[in-house]
Amino acid sequence: MSRYVLKRIGTGILTVLVVFVINFVIMHATPGDPINYLMGKDNHNEELRAELEAKYGLDQPMHVQFFSYLKTAATGDLGDSIIYGKPVSQMIGEKVGATLLLGLVSGIMALLLGTVMGIYAARHEGKLSDWLFSGFSYIMNSVPSFWLGLMLILIFASGLKLLPSYGMTSARVSYTGWAHIKDVLIHLILPAVTLTAILIPQYFRIAKSSVLQVTNEEFVMSLRATGMSEKKIFNKYIFRNAILPTVTIFGISMAFLITGVTLIETVFAWPGMGTLVLKAINQRDYPTLMGIYLVMSIAIAVVMLIVDLIYALLDPRIRYQ
Amino acid sequence: MHRVIEFMKKVWGFIKKDKQLIAGCIGILILFLMIVFAPVIAPENPHYYGPDALVAPGELGHLLGTNHMGQDIFSMIIYGVRTSLKVAVISALISGILGVLIGGVAGFFGGKVDTVVSEINNVFMMLPTFFLILLIVALFGNSITNVMIVIGITTWPSNAKLMRAQALSIRERTYVNAAKALGESNTQILFKYIIPNGIFPVIANTTMGMSNAILTEAGLSFLGLGDPNIISWGQMIYEGKSYITSAWWISVFAGIAIILTVLVFYLLGDGLNNVLNPKSGRK
Repeated sequence: MSRYVLKRIGTGILTVLVVFVINFVIMHATPGDPINYLMGKDNHNEELRAELEAKYGLDQPMHVQFFSYLKTAATGDLGDSIIYGKPVSQMIGEKVGATLLLGLVSGIMALLLGTVMGIYAARHEGKLSDWLFSGFSYIMNSVPSFWLGLMLILIFASGLKLLPSYGMTSARVSYTGWAHIKDVLIHLILPAVTLTAILIPQYFRIAKSSVLQVTNEEFVMSLRATGMSEKKIFNKYIFRNAILPTVTIFGISMAFLITGVTLIETVFAWPGMGTLVLKAINQRDYPTLMGIYLVMSIAIAVVMLIVDLIYALLDPRIRYQ
Repeated sequence: MHRVIEFMKKVWGFIKKDKQLIAGCIGILILFLMIVFAPVIAPENPHYYGPDALVAPGELGHLLGTNHMGQDIFSMIIYGVRTSLKVAVISALISGILGVLIGGVAGFFGGKVDTVVSEINNVFMMLPTFFLILLIVALFGNSITNVMIVIGITTWPSNAKLMRAQALSIRERTYVNAAKALGESNTQILFKYIIPNGIFPVIANTTMGMSNAILTEAGLSFLGLGDPNIISWGQMIYEGKSYITSAWWISVFAGIAIILTVLVFYLLGDGLNNVLNPKSGRK
């Protein structure tokens, strides 16, 4: 067990280091100069340029820049945004809550719905319900998330005028207390439904195929031969074995969520990390981009590490390999 | 001629084993025909800014309406097939070739090479791919070539993983030992025996990867990072977003086109998986 844990942690650390390097290389190989942006289009003042370069450390040699980046990032300082002058960590901190809210709510909904649908389809293989659920999963797998979001806006916001299509809170009134929570929840419905629908297929697939796979295994046949009831076999043996892979999928999809949510946030103007990313890209705000990518990658590495450890705890076959 | 018929019969014998594969192949054939005959099917040049802007579907001879620039939506959708398939095929090829070579070498040679490659693989699998693609395209320019290359070089790890597992098992087979005894070099064995015999799961996986490539390109276009010089469905949705309440048809039809195309590749990939890996399919 401890060897496995050490190995996983090693990979996690390596990943974070690779992220630092990729981050650094990309930002420096990029065409476009933030100093130009700061100075304005037709300003050719060399002194101002030198001053600005010194201010942001862009006049130092590459490796010095890299190590100073590593060092400051290790203390939680991701630098200041070139456009807003605010610390990047603060900007991320302001936005990460909204993304996590949307991501977690949708992730858990999809986990529950997708798994239940998958198990049901496997138990009724070949029947109408299996056919319907599988069809739904196939189509949701192929739908671009942002398009689904737009369609929901078209139907529920601009067509039926039932739900808000924009932002996280009502723009005209500022509620407090319960009214505020209710307001956020109403705004959450459309983005969360979109994301849930997009995430359902992976849970559906894994749940269905693992239930089917376990059902066909020899120990199940032996249990049947002993005359145990189908219900008991399923509840006691099949369900437990089949649910295991879902843990991994949940971890991977949480990791994916942090980045994948960008598209949906853009559609619904949800004030999370995705919106921040898009703004930073358009303004060539390097420190912000580097900071976001770094934070996202570390978060993903940590989440995946935790998931692997939980999986090892749950499944002795992994632990003792 | 006789030989061609024989070959076709063989292909059909292979395809008809699986319903999903049949559906996928028919879909691919239709998409292929749309690419070849696009100028015949499409009533207008999709780049042509016509006089009728924001015309509803069916009016003034525009089957699916027009956008804010007066471009014919139906023609744009037909020409959009070209972009989507180009992205799908080229990025999948890059990802497939990289994956097969890296995974094949790791599995075949084993030892330290394998450890290093597997570790690189693990690291790559933990990186947020879509965000990396988004960053690179945003910073290095949004030409369609960039998009294809970046998708290709960020998605190879899953292929490498499959190929490695295959190579690990194939290198123990008798015919590989026989080839070694006959004095064939490692490179020869890798390319003559290991890769050709182990490539099938990679082919199925690459087909699935094509649908992801199409979705990724559409997503990038939707964020405004598409190639402005080409007709792309994702871009149509992006442009239609501002007109979603007044001219829904701009976004709606392009989205349906994406869904259908992606679906075709999923069906094809699933079908290939069922037929090529008898273990994974239960049929």
